[in-house]
Amino acid sequence: MRRVAPPLVWLVLLLAAAWLMPVLEPLFGALAPDRGTVIYPRASFLSLLGEHLAIVGVAATMAIVIGVGAAIVVTRPAGAEFLPLVSQLASIGQTFPPVAVLALSVPALGYGPKAVVVALVLYGLLPIVRNTLAGLKAVDRGVIESARGIGLSPGQVLWQVELPIAAPAILGGIRTSVTINIATAAIGSTIGANTLGDPIISGIVNNNIAFTLQGAVLIGLLAVTVDSAFSRFG
Amino acid sequence: MIELDGVSRFFGAEVAVDNISLTIPDGSLCVLVGTSGCGKSTTLRMINRLIEHSAGEIRIDGHQIRRFNEEKLRRRIGYAIQNTGLFPHWTVARNIGVVPRLLKWDHAAVDQRVRELMALLGLEFDEFANKYPHQLSGGQAQRVGVARALAADPGILLMDEPFGALDPITRANLQTELLRIQSHIRKTIVFVTHDMDEALRLADHIVVMRAGRIIQQGPPTRILADPADDFVETLVGGRDRGLKRAALTRVGEMMEPADAGAPAAVATVTPDDSMRLAVSLMLWHGVSRLAVVDDTGRRVGTLPLSRLVDDRP
Repeated sequence: MRRVAPPLVWLVLLLAAAWLMPVLEPLFGALAPDRGTVIYPRASFLSLLGEHLAIVGVAATMAIVIGVGAAIVVTRPAGAEFLPLVSQLASIGQTFPPVAVLALSVPALGYGPKAVVVALVLYGLLPIVRNTLAGLKAVDRGVIESARGIGLSPGQVLWQVELPIAAPAILGGIRTSVTINIATAAIGSTIGANTLGDPIISGIVNNNIAFTLQGAVLIGLLAVTVDSAFSRFG
Repeated sequence: MIELDGVSRFFGAEVAVDNISLTIPDGSLCVLVGTSGCGKSTTLRMINRLIEHSAGEIRIDGHQIRRFNEEKLRRRIGYAIQNTGLFPHWTVARNIGVVPRLLKWDHAAVDQRVRELMALLGLEFDEFANKYPHQLSGGQAQRVGVARALAADPGILLMDEPFGALDPITRANLQTELLRIQSHIRKTIVFVTHDMDEALRLADHIVVMRAGRIIQQGPPTRILADPADDFVETLVGGRDRGLKRAALTRVGEMMEPADAGAPAAVATVTPDDSMRLAVSLMLWHGVSRLAVVDDTGRRVGTLPLSRLVDDRP
């Protein structure tokens, strides 16, 4: 496996960047010389980072519970009929652009973080469902058969045999889902949720490349931090 | 004692097992043998309710197995299969101890039992206890599989082609081991195989199955001597039967007392060797007489070719 900087190093870098961004004012001033303000002024980067993480965290938790749960249900004998339906729904969830989900969920849920969370949950389900299904299906039939044969109950077979064996695949799906959604959450800024997308949108609207860059760098660092944490602990 | 009484199993319109009756006494090793799809595996798996029987009754020690909770029933019955079914994410020791832990034995008792079984199966504790299944050879993994099946000291052991995927030498070793272990522990064993040689070697009682029915059952010597039909005769090897029967007979049963005046023999056998080996030695050395010696090399008998054949013209 390729060597990656330990997650802690990325985390320190991320927090330092969020906290010390104003210090870099001369640097950004050089990038956008004709602008009066070159550091995004409307909120601190740390609070934007916190809200961004909260939105992604809530969405990821929901996507994991729904996605892993659905994959488990449809691989049990009782839920087997729903297997094709669930795989298809999950694929549709990802072909549906998050912007479209936002457009549809705003009338239902109003402006703000709730609509963003819904969009992210739908968007993040596919990798989790797909990997959980693949992981559970890859468990050797002989192993399950013998587990039942020596007297494990269906619940014990699931918790002690199937899930631990499928765990690397499931974690891989969660990792993909969360990493994608860290980037996707930025569009939440278009419907009134506060995220690290705020400086990016504001930069685009006001033609201020410095704002855009600040948001992009922090989102990038956040994605790399979380991804390296998964690869270290996953 | 396991009793099957008019047992059938249907899968939709298909009849997998067709009205079979069978009694397996305590401590005997019963081998179900037949070609693939004959219903032997289905029969085995009905005994621990991995497959439910559609008709008839299956009783263990007189109690209908349907009366038991499925999991509790299975924890009292050892189960070993081809390709072992070991849990790949658990160590050897943890795999072997799984059923005792399900039965809530305390930690020390489980550990003690795992050590006992590894010793019984010839697996060095210090070398193997912390290995994972993928680090074992096929034969070692199968030993672990058998140890796991025996862990909670069940009265009954079900084995579904346990040695089917092994090379011939490893398979022969494990067959010998199974017979040795069985002579100590005297479990009621139901063993499924498609290999008639394996069946003849291991069984106290052979059940030949075909298309879901029992064609013939009896002790190995009777199946060999008196096959019920052409199918059984083909299974027991047709004109090779002479050698197969010789493989089941020990030299000790056929030898004559040693006569002091006989010339020294070229080749020797022990009383526990099979007659098949004796015949092979005669053919190889081109002699009609073998000396029979015990483990210490002392001469205990002699085996002339004339003991094996009525020299009719």
